[in-house]
Amino acid sequence: MGYEPLVQQNPLRVLNMGRENNQLGLVMARAGLGKTALLVQIALDAILRGKRVIHVSIGESIEKTKTWYDDILQLILQEHSVTRPHELIDMVARHRMIMTFKIAAFSRSRLEERLNDLVLQDIFRPNCLIVDGFDFVNTDREALEDIKNLMENMGMQAWFSAICHRGDPRVSPTGVPAPCHELDDLFDMVILLKPEHDATIQLDIIRNCGEQVSGGKGLRLDPTTMMVKEI
Amino acid sequence: MKKDLAKVRNIGISAHIDSGKTTLTERILFYTQRIHAIHEVRGKDGVGATMDSMELEKERGITIQSAATYCSWKDYDINIIDTPGHVDFTIEVERALRVLDGAVLILCSVGGVQSQSITVNRQMTRYKVPRIAFINKCDRTGANPYRVTQQLRDKLDLNAVMIQLPIGLESDLAGMVDLISMQAVYFDGDQGEQIRYDEIPADLRDEAEAKREELLDAVSMFSDELMEAMLEEGEIPEVMIHDAIRRGTLSLELTPVMIGSAYKNKGVQLLLNAVSAYLPCPTDVENTALDLDQNESEVVVSNNPTDPLVALAFKLEDGRYGQLTYIRTYQGMIQKGDTIINSRTGKKAKVGRLVRMHANEMEEIEGAGSGDIVALFGIDCASGDTFCSPGLNWSMSSMHVPAPVISLAIKPVDNKAQINMSKALNRFTKEDPTFKTYVDHETNETIISGMGELHLEVYIERMKREYKAEVEVGAPQVAYRETITQRADFDYTHKKQTGGSGQYGRVAGYIEPLEEGEYEFVDKIVGGVIPREYIPSCDKGFQKILEKGTLTGSPITGIRVAINDGSFHAVDSSDIAFQLAAIGGFKQGYAKAVPVIMEPIMKVAVEGPSEFQGAVMGSLNQRRGVIIGTFEEGNYTVVEAEMPLAEMFGYSTTLRSLTQGKAEFTMEFATYKQVPKGVADELIKAFAAQKKDA
Repeated sequence: MGYEPLVQQNPLRVLNMGRENNQLGLVMARAGLGKTALLVQIALDAILRGKRVIHVSIGESIEKTKTWYDDILQLILQEHSVTRPHELIDMVARHRMIMTFKIAAFSRSRLEERLNDLVLQDIFRPNCLIVDGFDFVNTDREALEDIKNLMENMGMQAWFSAICHRGDPRVSPTGVPAPCHELDDLFDMVILLKPEHDATIQLDIIRNCGEQVSGGKGLRLDPTTMMVKEI
Repeated sequence: MKKDLAKVRNIGISAHIDSGKTTLTERILFYTQRIHAIHEVRGKDGVGATMDSMELEKERGITIQSAATYCSWKDYDINIIDTPGHVDFTIEVERALRVLDGAVLILCSVGGVQSQSITVNRQMTRYKVPRIAFINKCDRTGANPYRVTQQLRDKLDLNAVMIQLPIGLESDLAGMVDLISMQAVYFDGDQGEQIRYDEIPADLRDEAEAKREELLDAVSMFSDELMEAMLEEGEIPEVMIHDAIRRGTLSLELTPVMIGSAYKNKGVQLLLNAVSAYLPCPTDVENTALDLDQNESEVVVSNNPTDPLVALAFKLEDGRYGQLTYIRTYQGMIQKGDTIINSRTGKKAKVGRLVRMHANEMEEIEGAGSGDIVALFGIDCASGDTFCSPGLNWSMSSMHVPAPVISLAIKPVDNKAQINMSKALNRFTKEDPTFKTYVDHETNETIISGMGELHLEVYIERMKREYKAEVEVGAPQVAYRETITQRADFDYTHKKQTGGSGQYGRVAGYIEPLEEGEYEFVDKIVGGVIPREYIPSCDKGFQKILEKGTLTGSPITGIRVAINDGSFHAVDSSDIAFQLAAIGGFKQGYAKAVPVIMEPIMKVAVEGPSEFQGAVMGSLNQRRGVIIGTFEEGNYTVVEAEMPLAEMFGYSTTLRSLTQGKAEFTMEFATYKQVPKGVADELIKAFAAQKKDA
């Protein structure tokens, strides 16, 4: 596709996220630290590697979600020169589909129905699913396992975001905070966003390939642009 | 003539198609005793609603032109502009909004905030129009005004606050609770003309109390007095609440939500009360004009009736007695016999007949004051023109006019039709700036262009009905464009020196893509290799060739042409020789600059029950669309996509059959994008064949 340099230079490479054994990923942070920004960068990285992404936004509008992509793509284009930026923008639009749901309208059966609609008519064959705004507080283990199964059946990778709260001390033995502290074994990778003293935000990888790990890989979010940077 | 501007309301009624604008307007006119019987839009009595004055509208059940009408409620004078709901007529909506001070946004209690409501809302925000929301059709099955109110907050970002509660819903809709006076309101009599106030039903008491608290919390932001009164926990005077709502509404930070059913005659009088109480009068709104004598600097119009006149012609209509021009006055007075000046043309005109319009009937008046909406007879002008008193040269700021995206060829069937057709076209282009017409010199066909298929269809029908001009209609053509994708050099010599007066000119330079703008000419000639007087000739030559590209004959845009070298002949060089050299040079460069065809891409939103989502997406996908996303709420889905206009012909029929008529779509122009290779090859082939035939 001619975007290899963009893919290779992406600091997200450190995470080895392209590997298919990372079937379920989770980004956790307190409100406002950049979960959506990180998810969109993960999605764009997948798109640049030729994958197709479905971005499920729960409780957000199509317009707002699209703006996230437009903004981050603009930032990427500012940093890396691409010969035909319009083609890249077009390509991203063709490899991405946004699905927004009202909070109550999202469920596995709904999702499966929609994905089947797309695949059976050969409209869109997604490889990667991004779910932003999933309600972990009111979800039981079964529902998430259900989605995990669906992803396995369809051969897709999925990334979720979850909000954790400062006041909630619950944490799993592997270091995954509430509300996901009892679900941590379902995820192959868990990234925790932590604010640092210099106002940057560190990507703390607490689970990788289903194993507990500690410490980051030296990745941070630039607080002004919300872009992932290597230190 | 009443002169108290505080009691004048110029309001618009805008909404999504079929949410009941026309029915509501009809009821308003009935209750204000402007009409004495109610006719339904698709009524069986064949009379049709009073506002839809055009036959065509009666037939289709849609409102095309925004007829202005006047009525009075209690001691308020209300001018109502009925605006069309379909997106193809957006210019009409925008123009109407320009002259309004406030608006009622109608929503269907079942359909809620639909894509057209979003467009209209955006336009209202652009023109800073304070609005009241009216959730209509509460008698329909599935009515849920609470959900619609929430949508107003979520989708339109309005601070929507209900000031009423329904008493019963769907077929049980009995009336409503007024949360300000805390009374139940019922509408008795055959046509709901008797309002009866009563106790709030016991089962609604608690809910009403809770909603009233919500209302007070929301509006207390706008009034310190109210805030204090609430803290003291005493009786809160109604006036104080009304006042706070009005302030919030005027500042565009609050949208009071009312409910009812125009069709069932419920809630309309209360809406009129709210229009009088909460919407602005002409002096509440600051309007600006451009002073053409002061380099178009902005000036604020005074609203003062003793100042010189400034009035905007916002709508033209061709009536039995000649051209009828609707105007809105912004300051000064207009009176019979006055001399006024059209600031665009500088032409003087004398005010002859002056009327106040009520849909099809009119009332002769002597004069009108500042802030009023009236109509003039026998004044020649285009819509959007400004009229001033002699001595003043102001223009109300120009309105945003989008470029047409679709065109079609029309051919009159006979001589008589030919004459009528040109009359009609002349009128339409004056009325509607988005409707354009020209004669293609190569084919000798008359081409009309506009904002969508329906837009042009309506004008063709109007030609037939109003002007008796039968025309044959060609297939709609998409307004393609051509552009280049890379820089290319050219060096061309035009030489014709075989006896007689010769022609000689050599032009060299380059062409390159221009990111913004349509055309730019750069003169980099040094040392007089092309004499000064022939530089404009080169520019002229380039502009000529840009009108018709070589791929499909579409205009070429987004191009910069620079000339940096050339030569001339002392005798044989001429204006025409350099024009021809420029044309030759351009063609040479154009072939090397990888030219491509661009097509209009429309933003399409399809709305309907979720069960059809798969089918809808399939149909969009087949038409070369890019699906941007979907939105689901309960059993209702919106699919948004970017679609090439060329693929959207006849889509309404497809959609109807796919979804049993349960889904609808709206479309507006988004951008121009490059046509994919396969399609481009077809277009080029078709153009070549057409050229061969000609």
